[in-house]
Amino acid sequence: MEDELTIAGRAFRSRLILGTGKYESFDLMRSAVAASGAEMVTVAVRRIDFDEAADDITSFLPEDVLLLPNTSGAETAEEAVRMARLARAGGLPDWVKLEVIPDPLYLLPDPVETLRAAETLLEEGFTVLPYIHADPVLARKLEDLGCSTVMPLAAPIGSGRGLKLRDAIRIIVEQAGVPVVVDAGLGAPSHAAESMEMGADAVLVNTAIARAGDPPAMARAFRLAVEAGRAGFLAGVMEEQLEASPSSPVGGTL
Amino acid sequence: MITVNGRRRERSAGETVASLLARLGFEGGFALVERNGEPVDREQYGKVELEDGDSLVIARPVAGG
Repeated sequence: MEDELTIAGRAFRSRLILGTGKYESFDLMRSAVAASGAEMVTVAVRRIDFDEAADDITSFLPEDVLLLPNTSGAETAEEAVRMARLARAGGLPDWVKLEVIPDPLYLLPDPVETLRAAETLLEEGFTVLPYIHADPVLARKLEDLGCSTVMPLAAPIGSGRGLKLRDAIRIIVEQAGVPVVVDAGLGAPSHAAESMEMGADAVLVNTAIARAGDPPAMARAFRLAVEAGRAGFLAGVMEEQLEASPSSPVGGTL
Repeated sequence: MITVNGRRRERSAGETVASLLARLGFEGGFALVERNGEPVDREQYGKVELEDGDSLVIARPVAGG
C-alpha cells in the first residue's frame, strides 16, 4: 500500500508542502515546486495595486497542486476570518492556513486569537490548518475543535534554525490524532529529515528553498530528505544508548 | 463615485464587479472582492451592480509562505 498523507479526506503522495514567498521570480518558483514534488503550496492574499502590472501567481502553478491560502498579515481572529472568507468567495479553495501573528520581531502566532478564528472558520465549513507555537495543549484543543492538521513551528519563520522545539513537537506528534506538519524555521534538508524521522507527517518549507543558491536543486534535496526521513520513521529508528555496542564479533580476534 | 482599495473612482452606469475589474485592467486569475465589508461570490461578479458610495476591497493571491 502506498504511504499517503491524508488531510481532511484528501490524499497526498508528497509530504512536502511549499511556501511560494521570497523567490526571485515566479519562473524560479515554478521550477522549485516541480522539483519538490509538492502537491500543496501556500499563497498569501493581498490588495491589488491597479497601477502596477503584476503576474498572476496561479498561472505559474500546476492545476493539480492545491492552493492553500494563508491568513498572513492578520493580527486578530477577525482579520484572519475576513481574509479566509474573501479567498473562498473569490474561488480559492476553502482550505486555509490559519496564522494570526501580532509579533513582528519573532513572528510568533497568537494562540488565543488562533483558537478563536479556528472556531469561527470551522463553523463556516472551512478546512483549517493552523500555524501554532509548539504547544501540545493548544494542538489538542485545535484538534478537538475540528482542525484538520496542527502545524507547529520548528523555529521562527525564515530563521533557518532547524528543529529548536524538538521536544515539544515530539509530544505533539505522540498525542495528535490529526497530521502534524512541522512549519517554519527549517533551514536545511537534514532538518526536514529529522522532523520526519521523529514522526511528523509532513513539513512546510519556504525560505530554505526560495533563498538557497539554487532553489530547484534545494527543492529536490528537501524532497529526498522528507522521503528519507519518512522511510526511516516507518522502518523504526533504533533506541539511543549512552554506551557503545560493538558491531563486529568480540571474540575470535587474531 | 465608489471607493476601490481606498481610492475614489468613477462608477460607470450599470457597472458590475466584472465590468469594473475589466475597466481597471485586471486580466485573468483570481480577483477576490469584498463589497461594503461582505465577500462577493465569484459567480456573482457579473451580476452584482455597484451603487454610488460602495466601498470595495479587491485582493488577489500573491506569493507567500
